[in-house]
Amino acid sequence: MIAALGLLIGVVLGLVLSPDVPLGLEPYLPIAVVAALDAVFGGLRAYLDGIFDDKVFVVSFLSNVVIAAAIVYLGDRLGVGGQLSTGVIVVLGIRIFSNVAAIRRHLFHA
Amino acid sequence: MAEPTGPTGPTGPTRPTGPTGPGRRPPADVPEQVRLPLLTLITQQSLDEDYRTAAARRAAGAPLPPRDRPRRTAAVVIGVFGLLAATAFVQTSRNADAASASRETLIAQIENRRGVLARQTDRVARLNDRNTALERSVTDLTGQTLEADGVRETLATGTGFVAVEGEGLRVTVTEPENADENQQVKDEDLALLVNGLWEAGAEAVAVNGRRLTARSAIRTSGLAIKVNGVGIAAPYTVEAVGDTRVLAARLFETTSGLLFADNATTYGFSYDLDNVDALELPAAPPGLAVLRTAVTSSDDPRAERGGDGR
Repeated sequence: MIAALGLLIGVVLGLVLSPDVPLGLEPYLPIAVVAALDAVFGGLRAYLDGIFDDKVFVVSFLSNVVIAAAIVYLGDRLGVGGQLSTGVIVVLGIRIFSNVAAIRRHLFHA
Repeated sequence: MAEPTGPTGPTGPTRPTGPTGPGRRPPADVPEQVRLPLLTLITQQSLDEDYRTAAARRAAGAPLPPRDRPRRTAAVVIGVFGLLAATAFVQTSRNADAASASRETLIAQIENRRGVLARQTDRVARLNDRNTALERSVTDLTGQTLEADGVRETLATGTGFVAVEGEGLRVTVTEPENADENQQVKDEDLALLVNGLWEAGAEAVAVNGRRLTARSAIRTSGLAIKVNGVGIAAPYTVEAVGDTRVLAARLFETTSGLLFADNATTYGFSYDLDNVDALELPAAPPGLAVLRTAVTSSDDPRAERGGDGR
């Protein structure tokens, strides 16, 4: 419940403040969001599995975001930014789908 | 990893379809993650391994974290996630606005340029039409110029301002030697001869190499006879371009020609008629063509062909 409240507050803050992203970081924000989404769904699944750990969650969240942005940054420097972000999105998407499938099985026992 | 991922893990269903089927069983000491296909590996490890490791450590007796701490930390991190997501959302939609705005600007520019292009095309068409019209009028004017040149040539030939050549009649008038006043050839005698030649059908006449024009006069000034204002002396040679078959015969059918012959007989000067195959008559001095007082009458439709004073 408190986590949902945190999400709500974060979204409202983002919408109200709508902070300006520095131009250099703009291309990496979407991929960072997808990576964060993966970490969040992973944490939710761990919570439902009963093995949630806040330290692991924070570390996985931060490392996901930083590594995803770093990979895309490196790709941009090497001239393969588009392809690398596609690869990152594919991997994260598969993880998100399978985590969501596990969560669904927990919630609906299906 | 080799360990099972719990009752909900995808390992079970995917294992039999993998490349590690029966008959190709690899050595047991190779870790399973080496043998697993990449997609299967990703699907299996979709849950971070660390959760399980931490749970195992806790089960082994590690100290439990305070009960309410996980929730607060998680809430803060999730709040950060919400902030990130909302920012990305706002940023993307703002960029979309900018992109569509620049697109609309470009479209407006394109339409503007299309309008300009259409106007220019219209102008090109109009100018082409005008060009065609002007070309047609140039052609008309060139035709008129040629026609006028032809008319001018004819008129100049007839009026004596162009040198001509052709067959004709040469009349040589000679006075007797030591002629007295009565035996001298007078201006009126030459005028009679010339008028007779004109009436007989001569097309160009010259007296002693002085071409006669519409403004020429033959008159006596003092002792000498002047043609075109230049004095001439005996013997007088009158050359007339015309049809040699009839010119000489017709000359003496005209009143002027008969009077001239009468005068010759009466006053005693003589004349010879020669048909010449090639006569060359010079042009009259162009100064004679300059009109100082006379202007072309503007209501005469044939005015520009004027000067036909003969």
